[in-house]
Amino acid sequence: MNNKSKLYYLVPCGIFYLAVPLIYMIVGDFPSRTVLKEILSLATVGAFFLFLGQFYLSRINTVTLKGQNYSKVVKLHKIIGYVCIPIIFLHPFFIVLPRYFEASLDPVDAFWLILTTFDSKGIILGLIAMALMILIGITAILRKRIHMKYKTWRTMHAFLSLAFIFVATWHAVDLGRHMDTFFSEYTIFMSSIGVVFLMRTYFFNNENKEKTHEE
Amino acid sequence: MSISKIRGCIGCGECVQACPTDVIRLNKSDVKAYIAYPDDCQMCHLCRMSCPVDAITISPEKSIPVIISWG
Repeated sequence: MNNKSKLYYLVPCGIFYLAVPLIYMIVGDFPSRTVLKEILSLATVGAFFLFLGQFYLSRINTVTLKGQNYSKVVKLHKIIGYVCIPIIFLHPFFIVLPRYFEASLDPVDAFWLILTTFDSKGIILGLIAMALMILIGITAILRKRIHMKYKTWRTMHAFLSLAFIFVATWHAVDLGRHMDTFFSEYTIFMSSIGVVFLMRTYFFNNENKEKTHEE
Repeated sequence: MSISKIRGCIGCGECVQACPTDVIRLNKSDVKAYIAYPDDCQMCHLCRMSCPVDAITISPEKSIPVIISWG
């Protein structure tokens, strides 16, 4: 297998999980804001879509990753995870950060108001998603320290990710500034692809399930 | 019309309280702010400034500069 075909799987991943959402955000009909706010929005949405792409860049994707070197794919999966978790963790701060440079509500007050608006379904979903993401991150970093069989850890990681993606997608669709009809449907569709990969591996494909667990 | 869009509202209700002309209301079903009486907007920017998530957009072409006291 030559280098071109080895990296072939990265092209659709780059297009559908990064290029399409970011280009749509730039060219779509959204209220224009300051450069700082737009950069922070692009970073947040880019990180979120790369999270959706984590299902694609994992062992459960036996469709497009067939014949690939899984260790390299998993390495990329880890890099994306460790880069995107801090971005998503910080995105509530990104929302209030520009307040330091403009005349408006105090950034600390704004942040506190966001965190304490429990009437909002989107905020509750965001807090749950954040807790799940931190749990996923901690259990991934401390995988060798927590006494758990690799197979068990991987199943736990998969289902925590499934719960996270479900809640995070709902949060994004509910509160996302750029979530118009197309972008909402696109986000749900891309999330569903990951869910289908996971369901296929763990529930509907016994042969594949055994093969994946043996690796 | 000056206030043009509300996107990404978390439903805290700060803008509803801040608006002196009662332009913005809170939708009880989805707990999100909406522009109820756009023609009454006086472009005071108080709603935009009080929104914690910067969800309110005011049409720039019809907007007037806000003078803030720094003292």
